[in-house]
Amino acid sequence: MTTVFGLDAGSGSLRDADHLIQEQRDRLGLPPETIACTHFVRADRPHVAVSFQLPHGSSPDAWWEPLSALGIGVSWEGRRIGPVELSTGAADAADELASKQGGRAVVYPGVDRLVGEVTVGQLLDESAIDRVVVLAGQGEPAPEAVVHTRDHVRPEWRDGQLTLMTAPAPNGAFVPFEVPDPTPCCADHA
Amino acid sequence: MGHHHHGDHHHHHHHDDQAVELPPTLDTAVHDEELSPAELSRRSMFRRTGLLGAGLGAAGVLSGTATAAATGGSQGKPPAEQRTGKLQWLAGDHHIHTQYSDDGKYRVIDQARHANAYGLDWMVVTDHGTITHAKIGVEKVNPDIVAARREIPSTLVFQGLEWNIPGAEHGTVFVHPGGNEVSTLKEFENAFDERGKNPNDGVPANEALAIAGINFLADAVRRNKVRDALFLANHPARRGIDSPHEIRGWRDAQPRIAVGMEGAPGHQAGGLKAPFGMGKARGLYDNNPSAASFPGYPLESYRTYGGFDWMTSTVGGLWDSLLAEGKPWWITANSDSHNIIGDAATRGPDSNFEANGRYNDPVYGGSPDFGVGDFWPGYYSRTHVGATGFAYSAVMDGIRAGRVWVDHGGLISGLDLQLRTADRWHQSSTTIGGVLHTRRGTPVELVITIDLANNPNWAQYLPMLARLDVSQGSVTGAAADRDTFTTPQTKVVKSFEVGKSTGTVKFTYSLGALDKPVYVRVRGTDGNRTAPGLLGAAVDPSGPALDVIGDADPWKDLWFYSNPIWALPV
Repeated sequence: MTTVFGLDAGSGSLRDADHLIQEQRDRLGLPPETIACTHFVRADRPHVAVSFQLPHGSSPDAWWEPLSALGIGVSWEGRRIGPVELSTGAADAADELASKQGGRAVVYPGVDRLVGEVTVGQLLDESAIDRVVVLAGQGEPAPEAVVHTRDHVRPEWRDGQLTLMTAPAPNGAFVPFEVPDPTPCCADHA
Repeated sequence: MGHHHHGDHHHHHHHDDQAVELPPTLDTAVHDEELSPAELSRRSMFRRTGLLGAGLGAAGVLSGTATAAATGGSQGKPPAEQRTGKLQWLAGDHHIHTQYSDDGKYRVIDQARHANAYGLDWMVVTDHGTITHAKIGVEKVNPDIVAARREIPSTLVFQGLEWNIPGAEHGTVFVHPGGNEVSTLKEFENAFDERGKNPNDGVPANEALAIAGINFLADAVRRNKVRDALFLANHPARRGIDSPHEIRGWRDAQPRIAVGMEGAPGHQAGGLKAPFGMGKARGLYDNNPSAASFPGYPLESYRTYGGFDWMTSTVGGLWDSLLAEGKPWWITANSDSHNIIGDAATRGPDSNFEANGRYNDPVYGGSPDFGVGDFWPGYYSRTHVGATGFAYSAVMDGIRAGRVWVDHGGLISGLDLQLRTADRWHQSSTTIGGVLHTRRGTPVELVITIDLANNPNWAQYLPMLARLDVSQGSVTGAAADRDTFTTPQTKVVKSFEVGKSTGTVKFTYSLGALDKPVYVRVRGTDGNRTAPGLLGAAVDPSGPALDVIGDADPWKDLWFYSNPIWALPV
């Protein structure tokens, strides 16, 4: 039985939520098998919560105290702390990861190897990603197809499988759907 | 055909703007009790089909029908001028930034001169709503606009702004010129712009504030503060934050003010390959879902297809789901011009935007800039409006009536659609944006007449129209779920191969005898990049393909789109 907990600091963006995940992973010294995801909280004030899945045999007790000290929403196996709006977001995030029906993975086994160029086959073999799909109904790319990772690979849970959506890139290669630095809404391009 | 020939900018515009009266059956200001029994019966029919109060009676739609019917005569078809209702097709762009935008650079006159040179008859200056713009820019830009109107009389220059719609994307808001154009825009921006006001009151409050803003514009027109006002949603699918129910909410709040959206966003050079391009996405559509985005939108919605926004490019998708309600919602195509690819101008040095409400005038920077993604107004994207004259009010009326088609890269020069009864002796006809009223069982046909490119475009080649597609859908009434974004009954029903660049081509598509309301719309392509539609090959066997980020040359993938025409058998 794995252990899943959720955190909600009211992060305004995916970037902030990614940062929260990495910060807590390092601070708590979570094991390398950890999976951590972001989840949208579509409340009156939309924001992003995060979830962590620890490997078999992990006990919440070791991490409960440092988590309680954060002053943010925390939910772990029925125990909740923090403001109700945030602890609810944390609980929903944990439930979504536990059911593998949603969540965008930031930390997962093998993520550190998904840098530069990799093939689809390598990506499937060397990371926790179960499936690679091409946008717009274009199916699954061949194992030898190249993926330009841009050092930013964020697969999503879809129907129980950690699925990486990709899009065609120049010269027959593919890129993860999520662009690391998308154009901001009112870019000051000049 | 009454279309406007580019290159000829010596217009002879002597039409007065005529206020077109709505027939009482369609004028929702006239109460049911004031109608005759026959009128009431006719109104009930419109109400059942969802076409009442939807603006379909506006401007030339019904008058065009009447003209064509009256002149049908023994020839079996009216003369060309009357088929198009003596319309002039005026090319324009409703999304253009200047040095009064916090991310802008050019003078108003820079944009106006280029728009005019590239063949635009009208343009709207839409600087971003910001605290600084609301305080300073919205006023300070006006003398520049007035001067541009004087210096460039053959291009109409509207003042508008790019509204940060509370809880949603951006939109063009613009008004008819007049004594209160500035004060109306300023008041609007102060009260209803998300950046100008920074409400942060949560989703329901923001959505209500957006509706209140649209109501404010309608009220300004009703009280004759301004002669006219329009709102169109810009780059609607870019970040997934214009939910279907918000779009329906804007449209239904004020159907004569909130009339449409960009079918194609600007920034069309954004996908050109580096180093002679940004190497990003067409339209700069490279975003992903956020907490504020509508959860139902698929990842596909965040990208463009043949340069067009997913809402428009998906046959049977969001746009069609709106049209299937029998209510107008028109598409446009604009430049969103901020910084022109290859231009060597740089923002004026020593600028203080916060203090002055503008950047200093641009200066020569010494080397072309390929790290930006825009074209000059008229250079690539055009919104063609069927206007009854060369006048500000005629352009606004034409947009409101949906007499609008759009093209990229000068793919074609002129488009005339006539939906008409195929019965020789009872012929009536209407054009883009209109409603053809027919008797149940009368055969109906769509006649498509296209002036091919005939001249090189601004990339100096002669575009070739390879193929036309007619899409048809049933009008199924108001969507029960306001977040609906597909409609199962719309699909491509007919394609015509063209394969020519010069001359005029004409095609007829027979809809057969109709017993229920339908609509048709037309698109065309250079045929360079196609793929099965997102809702399947049975819906759209050869639609626009997903644009490749980092390598999307807009000149090698040209499309045009018409707005719809409805047929209403009774």
